[in-house]
Amino acid sequence: MLPFAEWLPQQRWYAGRQRELVSAESVAITPLHDHDLEHRLLLVSYADGGSERYQLFIAWDQPPADEFTAVATIGAAGDRTGYDALFHEPAARHLLALVAEGARRGELRFTPEPGASLPVAAGSRVMDAEQTNTSVVYDRTALLKVFRRVQAGINPDLELNRVLARAGSPHVAKLLGAIDGVDPEGNPMSLAMVTEYAENAADGWAMATTSTRDLFAEADLRADEVGGDFSAESHRLGEAVASVHRTLAEELGSAPAAPPIETMTDRLAAAIEAVPALASRAGAARKVFEAAGTSRIRMQRIHGDLHLGQVLRTPEHWLLIDFEGEPGTPIAERRRPDSPLRDVAGVLRSFEYAAYQLLVGESVEEQLIYRAQEWIARNEAAFCDGYASVAGTDPREQKALLAAYELDKAVYEAAYEARHRPSWLWIPMRSIDRLLAVGFL
Amino acid sequence: MQQPAEGSHVHEGVVEHPAASDFGQARILPTDRNWFQRAVFYEVLVRAFYDTNDDGSGDLHGLIRQLDYLEWLGIDCLWLPPFYDSPLRDGGYDIRDFYKVLPEFGTVDDFVELLDAAHKRGIRVITDLVMNHTSDQHPWFQESRREPDGPYGDYYVWSDTDQRYADARIIFVDTEESNWTFDPVRRQFFWHRFFSHQPDLNYDNPQVQLEMLNVIRFWLDLGIDGFRLDAVPYLFEREGTNCENLPETHAFLKTCRKIVDEEFPGRVLLAEANQWPSDVVEYFGDPDTGGDECHMAFHFPLMPRIFMAVRRESRFPISEILAQTPPIPANCQWGIFLRNHDELTLEMVTDEERDYMYAEYAKDPRMRANVGIRRRLAALLDNDRNQVELFTALLLSLPGSPVIYYGDEIGMGDNIWLGDRDGVRTPMQWTPDRNAGFSRANPGRVYVPPNQDAVFGYQAVNVEAQRDSSATLLNWTRTMVAVRRRHEAFAVGTFQELGGSNPSVLAFLRQAGDDVVLCVNNLSRFPQPIELNLADWAGYEPIELTGRVPFPRIGQLPYLLTLQGHGFYWFRLNRPAEVE
Repeated sequence: MLPFAEWLPQQRWYAGRQRELVSAESVAITPLHDHDLEHRLLLVSYADGGSERYQLFIAWDQPPADEFTAVATIGAAGDRTGYDALFHEPAARHLLALVAEGARRGELRFTPEPGASLPVAAGSRVMDAEQTNTSVVYDRTALLKVFRRVQAGINPDLELNRVLARAGSPHVAKLLGAIDGVDPEGNPMSLAMVTEYAENAADGWAMATTSTRDLFAEADLRADEVGGDFSAESHRLGEAVASVHRTLAEELGSAPAAPPIETMTDRLAAAIEAVPALASRAGAARKVFEAAGTSRIRMQRIHGDLHLGQVLRTPEHWLLIDFEGEPGTPIAERRRPDSPLRDVAGVLRSFEYAAYQLLVGESVEEQLIYRAQEWIARNEAAFCDGYASVAGTDPREQKALLAAYELDKAVYEAAYEARHRPSWLWIPMRSIDRLLAVGFL
Repeated sequence: MQQPAEGSHVHEGVVEHPAASDFGQARILPTDRNWFQRAVFYEVLVRAFYDTNDDGSGDLHGLIRQLDYLEWLGIDCLWLPPFYDSPLRDGGYDIRDFYKVLPEFGTVDDFVELLDAAHKRGIRVITDLVMNHTSDQHPWFQESRREPDGPYGDYYVWSDTDQRYADARIIFVDTEESNWTFDPVRRQFFWHRFFSHQPDLNYDNPQVQLEMLNVIRFWLDLGIDGFRLDAVPYLFEREGTNCENLPETHAFLKTCRKIVDEEFPGRVLLAEANQWPSDVVEYFGDPDTGGDECHMAFHFPLMPRIFMAVRRESRFPISEILAQTPPIPANCQWGIFLRNHDELTLEMVTDEERDYMYAEYAKDPRMRANVGIRRRLAALLDNDRNQVELFTALLLSLPGSPVIYYGDEIGMGDNIWLGDRDGVRTPMQWTPDRNAGFSRANPGRVYVPPNQDAVFGYQAVNVEAQRDSSATLLNWTRTMVAVRRRHEAFAVGTFQELGGSNPSVLAFLRQAGDDVVLCVNNLSRFPQPIELNLADWAGYEPIELTGRVPFPRIGQLPYLLTLQGHGFYWFRLNRPAEVE
């Protein structure tokens, strides 16, 4: 038996670090190739009584290139050694070939998108620096994204990418195929997806901080005067987000519903526990949420967790990636329709982070803060202009609702920063105060 | 009887031209049909380079005198803007006689002497040929306006109204209001895409086509290595079109090419077509033949985007335009440049990008001209040596044959107080002596004053001072040109962008067979790290090209490099077997 309980906690995508692991057991094994490649579903049980499911592709007795043996070696079982198959080129290639041929292995279904061409003969490599999934790039052209933690139900990342790709949206990495399975209870679940890979791309966060870095290096110039001005990109990004929203509404429909004010106030209550300083602002914050009103607004499928780190600039377009939402929350919740303003607010919040993040760890200089605010205002305006030019409606016209979504996001950030990065806490707190001040105007 | 050196003349209503056989012939370099794919070009204005007869204006003998310098620098080919007889209302692009050299520059025989001296040093020479139009003082036009029914009556595009071809844009928006101008002599309008003193030739007249083919043959017979075909998209006009890139224009260029291939193999045609790359590739002709129209074409949209990318510290303006650039036929090549004798043209950018470029690179309205910026490289870059080097490295490593503009190799500046585009056409700065060592004439007689700016003036910036110090821009440029020459990949290699998560870093591979060059450029003024996916080259060892410094071998993991602000690396990738 492979030592999963020792190996799992060393993996970056393992989410149970704050919990005590009791056991990690295989609950389903699907052979994929002779005796040397298989798929496993693991049930991880915690001391708190909870559990999570993870999945693994295991290559037996086939070590990857030297650089990856440390991370890929799961351990020994009897006289055989198991490795994470994604790091082994022939195994990774075999998985792609199964997708290309539309194979079925046990309960695992490998499905190519109609008309998709997959680089089945290509070399592969595992991408670095991912938090929740593991991605393999083939030949700089295709990407296999393996969801590590799996749940019953269709993963919204796969679902929305499929809808957008089939509708011809230029603002997603086109879906090429998928791998699905069933959980032990017989419910279908998404395991992995294959998309086109944008080789020459940089994420919006790196792009935006390049601009703010340039801004702060100029002693006197203002946001509209510096060479690193980002507003043209923000405008194009706004167009891209609006285009994706429109396609999602066209393909999956939209319906009027009340804004999720209750969720917002619940989140606020929970956040106060992590950030006591929020308590004195709670009354004002509730007023902002209430000002968003109870009248029904247009709700539809959205990205749900949009920020500058979830958008990629390629030579041709801005792409939206990672539609899966927060992997810790149940899939049904992640697929719930919401206002497109949540995504808009996510990007606006991200502009604040891009501007202020460079100042973290320094003593605060009000002059830099002031210039950062000019940069934020300029890029928010450009983004909203771009959004409005495609959507036909300007998100700023729904001022109270947009403020509620921004505040909701800032409250979530404050709780997160208080737990994980206290030195960043001032960023959302400053925003919360700004949003509350606006609320009283 | 007219002397050949005096050029064309009118005899009983007929314009008679000299023949090539009236002159000497330069020695010819061995036939090489693809030399231009590997060449480093140098654009030099005869007027601005060196004055040997003390009249304040450069001349052909001056160019001959300075050929040793150009050979030392490592130049393969000179590009001379027009030196033909001209009233000089458009820097010589208004040609009065295709068969005569502007007297202040010298004679046709002097030009043959220049060709011969250049060829002796292995340097080729091409010149501008303006095919689209002539000066209004050209005898063809004078005859055409005087005698509408005479042999030249149909040499130009005449019309009773100024309403035809209304879809054609006006190019020189600063000076022209219409593409039609009324001629009081003939009492008709004549068509001109550029200045109103430059009537367009009528290519629908077969006689005009023949005349221009004769002009081409004349100079090729003397030994010239090719032509930069000026303003080439505009030869024909058709109602209901924008009168650019018409099929008839391409057909005529194919005829020119056929003559070159059959009668003068190894000579080149370079198209000046300020258009989008997807339109420009049409000027290379049929890819199945390896190209049967122009051998080369300038890549105009790339240049402003290099400036934009560095100011924005983002590679995407460059990545975008290169991704939009279609492949070109096998026997063709792009010409790329940072600056030339014209304004830094901003026709092939969006309105938003143009506003941005003006704001960043032409803060003073005097720095602008037509749709562009009239400044030199070093001045555009605030004389920042690091940036000048980065730009030059990009020029020498991006796909295409590089064109260096005279004086940019020493970092000359511009003089925005001079009119039109003269600000970037000041005398070459040879020494700190009177007139920058360019001329011994009375300073008041020099065609425009040499640059006397405190930073860019000839006392600070000149060849003499830079030649003897290895740390200077001049010697640095010479070194990089020499490094480039050692690697076939720079000239004819494939181009592959490597991406990378840092948007400020532009990394690409050039590959020609076994010669693999990796170029990594930091477009930001701040130090930057980059992790490159080079797993395809695992086992290879990068060798830095200027110092042959070995870098750590490439493995399966992302390859980490750090670059200083505006820094760059050129590496060759050594095969694993060679590493041992």
